Amino acid sequence: MKRSFPYRASGGEMRGLAQPGYYPDFSTLAQKKTWDEATRQVVTERVERPPAVRFFSQQEAALLQTIIDRVMPQDDRDEDHTIPVLPAIDERLFNKSINGYRYEDMPSDQEAYRLGLAAIAEMAQQRFGQSFVALSVHRQELLLKSLHDEKPDPEHTVWGRMPVKRFWAMLLGDCVAAYYSHPWAWDEVGFGGPAYPRGYMRLENGMPEPWESDETRYEWSAPADSVSDFTEDDRREWSKKW
Amino acid sequence: MFHGHDEHRLGAMQTLPRPMRKFRDDEVVDYCVVGVGSAGGVLVQRLARAGFRVVGLEAGPFWDTEKDWVSDEKGSHELYWNDLRIIGGTDPLALGENNSGKGVGGGSVHWAAFTPRFHPSDFRVYSEDGVGADWPISYWDLKPYYELLEREIPVAGPAWFPWGDPHGHPYGPHPLGGVGDILVRGCTKLGIRTVAGGPVAILSASHGDRPHCIYRGFCIQGCKVGAKASTLITHVPDAITHGAEIRAHSMAARVSLRDDGRVDGVTYFDREGNEHFQRARAVIVSGYAIETPRLLLNSACPGHRHGLANSSGTLGKYLMAQAGNVVAGRFDELIRLYKAPPAHALSEEFYETDRRRDFARGFAIQTVGPLPVAFAKQMMAAMGAWGWGMRRVMMDYNHWATLGVLGEILPWEDNRVELAEEKDRFGLRVAKVTFNLHENDRKLIEFGKRKVMNVLWAAGATQVVQESRFAHLVGAARMGNDPATSVVDRFGRTHDIPNLFICDGSILPTQGSANPGLTIQALAARTADYLIQQGDAIFSSSRRDLSEPSIRYDFSPPYTKWKGNPRIA
Repeated sequence: MKRSFPYRASGGEMRGLAQPGYYPDFSTLAQKKTWDEATRQVVTERVERPPAVRFFSQQEAALLQTIIDRVMPQDDRDEDHTIPVLPAIDERLFNKSINGYRYEDMPSDQEAYRLGLAAIAEMAQQRFGQSFVALSVHRQELLLKSLHDEKPDPEHTVWGRMPVKRFWAMLLGDCVAAYYSHPWAWDEVGFGGPAYPRGYMRLENGMPEPWESDETRYEWSAPADSVSDFTEDDRREWSKKW
Repeated sequence: MFHGHDEHRLGAMQTLPRPMRKFRDDEVVDYCVVGVGSAGGVLVQRLARAGFRVVGLEAGPFWDTEKDWVSDEKGSHELYWNDLRIIGGTDPLALGENNSGKGVGGGSVHWAAFTPRFHPSDFRVYSEDGVGADWPISYWDLKPYYELLEREIPVAGPAWFPWGDPHGHPYGPHPLGGVGDILVRGCTKLGIRTVAGGPVAILSASHGDRPHCIYRGFCIQGCKVGAKASTLITHVPDAITHGAEIRAHSMAARVSLRDDGRVDGVTYFDREGNEHFQRARAVIVSGYAIETPRLLLNSACPGHRHGLANSSGTLGKYLMAQAGNVVAGRFDELIRLYKAPPAHALSEEFYETDRRRDFARGFAIQTVGPLPVAFAKQMMAAMGAWGWGMRRVMMDYNHWATLGVLGEILPWEDNRVELAEEKDRFGLRVAKVTFNLHENDRKLIEFGKRKVMNVLWAAGATQVVQESRFAHLVGAARMGNDPATSVVDRFGRTHDIPNLFICDGSILPTQGSANPGLTIQALAARTADYLIQQGDAIFSSSRRDLSEPSIRYDFSPPYTKWKGNPRIA
């Protein structure tokens, strides 16, 4: 697996972290004895037994894993605390689980993934003369960013049959759903997690519950070879009042 | 409190009454209600209390809230209507978790539970603005039912709700969470009136065998506490106590029409795919704005080639969703938007038509409280976040506050439900849902979006972004006085078939910018009173009596009596 490390503003690569984010001592799983039985089972199962890959072929799985590594990068996390994303997507497709709709201009989710993966593989060969997996992180991201920007580079016939923005939204949506439904991600972002039957009692002023922790911020930069972080232009745009 | 393991739990303290009456398919029941959601739950409860023999067919499961529900976004996927539907148009409507439920309680299981009433002007949109449609009833016909349902649910909210027909609420308002605090702060700076702590169908104090809210924030994942109202816990238990049968995992396929032009039952499939036929003297379809027209379109038969009760050609048309733009602001201080109910403060200051603006009707501003997965998906669209950008904005999750624009989109003929070529696992054609925004809608959304962005700036946000989306579904089988332009009359009876009724969100001619749940339940209680007053005439006569029924205060679920709506003016 190719890696590409973010770094702290104060210097030093961020790698091998058990828990990135601004809540270093916070653990939702440490609270699981206070959760109800059904919730405890579902969340524990997710952490301890990620499903086996059954829908994708080995080759497809290797390509999709490389894509996921850029779409939902975890290079800063140590191996034991990497959140499984591919198995969650594979399980959804294997079980034919959908979200209640399909766009009239889209094929089934299963076919969309197969088409999209094939297109990305061929685009890598066309543009860089190498397999996507073998490309540098930077080139992988350049190619994916062209999908994100809805300007596939190079063009590919698949995007004439399937709108690139819908494929990208499905892929990215599946990745964030897998990542942010994992309790390690809850720890990273400071989300309190399940709270039945105990509940929350400190509702105002962003105060932590007794078992939550306060924020310890640090400045960090995305890896130097990455193009997926926000830009200064983005920040200016979002800070511009009407 | 001790509960045995075999008990079926409805919230932390309530259990399902047992035994439940069972009807055989070949027994002729009085009413077969298709869909036990917001409307169906109220209907079966009222009809059972009045002594009718009632079966409610529900496509989804009969939830045991303790075993089946979890405090977890991903683990709550089964609450939604996830079966295939095809979506299209210039502005396709995302379905599933956004707006449709499956299982006893229906959408009321996963609604955020805002319960504003519609305004009096909502019932006269065409008369006042020359757009949309008028309702065949007025606000004043529905007002006693709003008050009654506010007590039955019961609704918590401020003592003074200043918009529309001003009113108070039977239960006191909830404490504010971080997002509500931002809404109130921003609006107050701009001189916009707000209410806080409701109106929501969430208990601020215990009620019978239901405990009060614990502020865990998982409202739309199903309330395990039993504090948030769903018909699963407010009306269905009382229906069963009074002899109704709720038949879960029963997917209606067709409503059957006899040669004499009256319906005589419903064909449905059980979870194993076996076909059954439930005989009934009258049928009420309560499947919501997509499944209701789908069922009637799939019930086409000789004499009704374009679907049952579709002589007007309007069945499936005039489908509405509300604009549901989510506007997010980043604050230097911590907000922790996951605490407290997502629904807890709002403003309806911009609800009505304002002649100074270049569009008709208006919008509301409401709190929303996306949990991490939902928030990450919103940031995909709002900020174009992916890769390290996604990781970065999510690490700031606790610094963001999110407000919703709830904007009125007018009823348009080209927004519709039809049948697609694809079929479901029972061989039934699935729905195709087409949605297009029109000029008035686009102007309204643009104005509303900017207004809410300004609220967040005024509250002290350092960044403000927004995602365009939609909320709720109503229309597609609208009520009206004219059989040529509507599907049902003022009581939900189809113009074409005297013993076939529709009672759910699909009968709404317009939608205002109020969340539709309370209005749907109020309409169901009124239709029930009508059916009870008409008695056996429904089952044999074709005479259409359009006089208003008298309201029955003696058919409410337990713990409603002696509760009051504050008198404020």
